[in-house]
Amino acid sequence: MMIYFGPSISKPSSSLKSAGKESKAAKEMEMAVDGEAKEIWKGGAGSVLSLAPGSSIPVRYHSLFASHDDLLLLEVDEKLLPDILNHRTCIRGQPDEDAVLCTPTATYAMKFVGTSNTVLLIPPGDATSSNPEMLVEDTDKQDIPMPQCIASVIKVAPGNIELIQTAPRLEKLKTLLSQRPYRLEEDLDDGLQLKSGLYRWEDLVELIQASEEEIRVGLKSLSAVELDGFWRIVDQKSMDGILDMILNNSILHDWRLNAIVEDEVLSIMESDGFPRRIVLHCLDTYGNALDGMEGCVWSLDEKKVCLRFAARVLGAEKMKLEVFMEKWTRNAPSGMQVSLQMLEGEVLFEKIGIETWIRPFSVSALPSTPAERFAALFRERPKWEWKDLDPYIKDLKVPGLSAEALLIKYTRRTQPSADVEPVFSAR
Amino acid sequence: MEIRVKCRCGNGGCSEWAIVELQGVVESQVSSIVTSIQGLEIGNLCRSSSSSPETYTFTIGYHELSGSKIALKKPLLVLKKHKDDDDDEEMKNPRVELEVIGIVRHRILFKNRPKSLISRPQCKEKKLAS
Repeated sequence: MMIYFGPSISKPSSSLKSAGKESKAAKEMEMAVDGEAKEIWKGGAGSVLSLAPGSSIPVRYHSLFASHDDLLLLEVDEKLLPDILNHRTCIRGQPDEDAVLCTPTATYAMKFVGTSNTVLLIPPGDATSSNPEMLVEDTDKQDIPMPQCIASVIKVAPGNIELIQTAPRLEKLKTLLSQRPYRLEEDLDDGLQLKSGLYRWEDLVELIQASEEEIRVGLKSLSAVELDGFWRIVDQKSMDGILDMILNNSILHDWRLNAIVEDEVLSIMESDGFPRRIVLHCLDTYGNALDGMEGCVWSLDEKKVCLRFAARVLGAEKMKLEVFMEKWTRNAPSGMQVSLQMLEGEVLFEKIGIETWIRPFSVSALPSTPAERFAALFRERPKWEWKDLDPYIKDLKVPGLSAEALLIKYTRRTQPSADVEPVFSAR
Repeated sequence: MEIRVKCRCGNGGCSEWAIVELQGVVESQVSSIVTSIQGLEIGNLCRSSSSSPETYTFTIGYHELSGSKIALKKPLLVLKKHKDDDDDEEMKNPRVELEVIGIVRHRILFKNRPKSLISRPQCKEKKLAS
């Protein structure tokens, strides 16, 4: 379909006029760049929207009509409006990444949706006909004394940007922080002043495509800590060393593992040369702070501590289950009870003949996007039973998609008969 | 890179823009004499005298479209991209900012094929205005 408008509407003199307008237009454009766009582009949107029944308004191209590629239409949910209008949003992404819009708490993918319709965009501001040419038509309508309003189209919008809530893109956070983990030796070595591979909060916010809250959650789940203004992961060997020292001191000084007095543990650890802040970070990683009678008291988390010992016993190798259990029980701190349930999402069991073997396979090492997660899982095993699969996918959260929907999207479910456990395989 | 989305309108004070949307493409028949289409009239938008439903006609040349005003399910924000390239060095990223300069809550949509007018469009308009 084509719609034409005839030249009869505009007078031939308009070519001359527009030439005169050009300089004015250029001047107005300059002012518009100053941010006073809404003042300059008097388009008469109000007159269009409040057109009285039985009346009419001429629609024309604005004297500044152009492609205006710097004008974008962004479709937003009503509930997002306050965040945007109060400057609480920003768009994040490197040149090679797809841009996302972040509110303080959520991340939205931005998708441009084109339209084949002609979308005439009319700016606000009262546009009475200052153009005498427009009034010529009305000279015979003396019964209408009002100056005639006009609607001016500033641009034809090729489409708009839609927002779709997505999971935060935190993969990169781990990569960045793993570049230069903190080591205990570092504090002893004054020569290490180079700042490469270190990231401040401001750097992370610029580099990570996630909202600030989601970045904080991500840092917490990586057990990262802010040291001298830089967010760091503490190298595992250093953490193990400190944890062992805390546990040894508990035995020496007869501390209860669910009530370690902060002042005591800090002063003893410091006298052994461990930096206070790293000790505190270790306590925070493997325990919870409680307010006790004697100031702050730490309770070590049985599951977190035992899991760490399991990982140390197992290493990267697979082991016979009995051998593993014997070693794990022996190594775990006394007073802590190990249990296989703790290992959910951390290990896989394999039956080889009559023996059961155990192998490290940690959910935290798997990709966080659903497609890549399922691909990694099916590379590991072509078929999964529900009880095995669940621990590896329950942390996947895709806004707007339920766990069932995820399974339908990424897996094929087979259940030969009603009394058999269903099996999930790749689609 | 981080692009802040700013807004100077203050709370709820964003000025409302309008959208007139139609199927197809509007083409100017003014070809060689007028090089630019700025300032040129596209057509005439009339609201019918019956208040409900709110119907409109849009007369473009000898075509007449009929349509209606529709509230958008989700509002559209009009953003303006500001590029602040004070220092022209290629090394430095120019700071980009987006400013909310308006909001669209309604559009007047003409989704039907146009009707050809036999009479001149002006006559139609006068009849409605009287």
